[in-house]
Amino acid sequence: MTEEGPPLELMLRRLAETPLDFLAEPAPAQTPTPASGQAPGQAVGIHTLAVVNDLLRLHGATAVAAGLAAHGAKDGPHSTNRLRLLSLLAWLLADDWFLTGRRDPAGILAAMAAAAAELAPLVPARAAVRDPERREELARLTLSHLSLRPAGETETSARDRLTMLSTAERTRVLAASRQAEERARAIREALAKKKAEESADKWSRE
Amino acid sequence: MSPRDPLEPDDAERYPLLTEDGRRMLQFLREHPNAPMFRNRSGNRLTADDLAAVREFERDLAATPAPGWAGERPAWLVDFVRRAMVQVPHYRAYSAGEDVPFEALPTICRADLSRDIAAFVPDDVPIDRLINFRTSGTSGHPLLIASHPAVAASYLPLHRVALRHFGVELRGGSGRVGVVLVGFQRQCFTYVSVTPLLGDSGLAKINLHPADWRDPDDRARYLDALDPEMYTGDPVSFAELAKLPLTTRPRALLSTSMALLPATRRLLEDRFACPVVDVYSLNESGPVAFADGDVWHLLQPRMLVELLDDAGRPAAPGERGEIALTGGFNPWLPLLRYRTGDTAALAFHGREPRLVGLSGRPPIRFRTAGGEWLNNIDVTHALGRFALAQWTLHQHADGRLELRTSGGHAGALGRALIDLFGAGAAIDVDTGATFDGKVRQYTSDLGGAS
Repeated sequence: MTEEGPPLELMLRRLAETPLDFLAEPAPAQTPTPASGQAPGQAVGIHTLAVVNDLLRLHGATAVAAGLAAHGAKDGPHSTNRLRLLSLLAWLLADDWFLTGRRDPAGILAAMAAAAAELAPLVPARAAVRDPERREELARLTLSHLSLRPAGETETSARDRLTMLSTAERTRVLAASRQAEERARAIREALAKKKAEESADKWSRE
Repeated sequence: MSPRDPLEPDDAERYPLLTEDGRRMLQFLREHPNAPMFRNRSGNRLTADDLAAVREFERDLAATPAPGWAGERPAWLVDFVRRAMVQVPHYRAYSAGEDVPFEALPTICRADLSRDIAAFVPDDVPIDRLINFRTSGTSGHPLLIASHPAVAASYLPLHRVALRHFGVELRGGSGRVGVVLVGFQRQCFTYVSVTPLLGDSGLAKINLHPADWRDPDDRARYLDALDPEMYTGDPVSFAELAKLPLTTRPRALLSTSMALLPATRRLLEDRFACPVVDVYSLNESGPVAFADGDVWHLLQPRMLVELLDDAGRPAAPGERGEIALTGGFNPWLPLLRYRTGDTAALAFHGREPRLVGLSGRPPIRFRTAGGEWLNNIDVTHALGRFALAQWTLHQHADGRLELRTSGGHAGALGRALIDLFGAGAAIDVDTGATFDGKVRQYTSDLGGAS
């Protein structure tokens, strides 16, 4: 967070105005260079990597970034949300403020990937658009991965605010997880009771 | 008399709505001079609220036409999926709250339910009156199903829909026996009960194996005394029932659990002079469909049936595929693209979807060293005390048995099978087997095994 970045309000407004196309279902097969005639966002789903590739070109990239393809893997329960967050970040970082400054494309890609991976299990992409706190968390987290802080803020206050936002969310998720574990344990115990074992009448058996 | 185990239900919990007629029926079923030994206790467990819910379910069934969703998704599906993705832990993990098209949702299979059934129980259903149904099945994944007395009681309205198709209307009523569930196994869960939905008519679940009776001839005497409106069972137990010199006639036979071959069906229809209704039913879903000739009619209006190829894509119209179920009437286990392991093709009669060429789980018999035939369920029972994730048993043409498991103690497994098949049985045990997905658990080269 060493450098001063854009005003936070600018980023929040841009996130709030995200076109719906950027939140569309990611295409099942991701490639940075989809076949011609298959524009990003067609019925087959959004080619997230192509969108990211376009952004990197706007920042001066002349070739497809090494390792970009690896970010398209659908490799876990949160990969769809991670791809959606990448699309959302591509929209955010295509703002004039960032383009005017033209940043290193490799640094941009690394920051996007890190922010999307961190938030994917916690914050649905739609919530990062609609929910003011999650919007702010995404904006601040992205800036921090770019070593930027919101305009007019000190490094300390920017860090404190990001910590507060992310801690609140993680606390909520942790509490929900504990609650889920407790519920699962109660169900297993209820099913193991003699009264559950004795079952109830069915007119046929399988 | 030993004191009652406080952890076990008492009769007030087993039969909360028991009438005086119902009490007399229980006494008749239990204390008849020709009665078998009843090894277990069970009851309907229905409260007044449960009974009202089952009656409403039956009214809804009568008011709802057969499932109709040719070329489109049923209207209830969107809300069902949305709720499942919010309330059910396993489904919630799919999408972090994002909308996902139905076809893009992952499928689940028996192994998923077997791994942790708690992850499939919605957060917003009460769990204070849970019951379970255990199943060993043919796929090698033992299963514990979360259910509820009202769900168990809802089987009957679905059976009645199938029976009506063949012109049979169950009457029930106090003083009558509504149903006898017959098994023919070495070990069988047996008990008596009453059915409040049919005026506390009697229910008996019995084992026709002679070991459960003081005198094998008592089987016919007892069943003639009960004169049940209907028998439910499987092709193996019905074959045994058909051998008994019964003088009474049921109004219908309802077969589940195993494939009912056409010749067996005709034989039973001739023997009992009543319709024999073959019902495709799973512990995970309850009754799904019933057969009329080669065609299977779907029973549950709020269940979507898909046929999927190996990659999880919808099979082409008319092509065979694995049956996948979404929906159902068990709020404690909402199914979302559940792959059953059974196959069929989908055919539309107007807008009504039907199944053709259903291939379920064929029964397999194994021959003991003494030449006696055993039902495959007896093998499952014998292996029940071992924590096996998956296994297969094959009998070669020379009678040799080959048990393949992934894990377990070979010596102990071999001894369990020797106990079952006799000291002279030749048994090979391989505990280092690996299985590639679904396997046919029981197979045999012997003539007469299936």
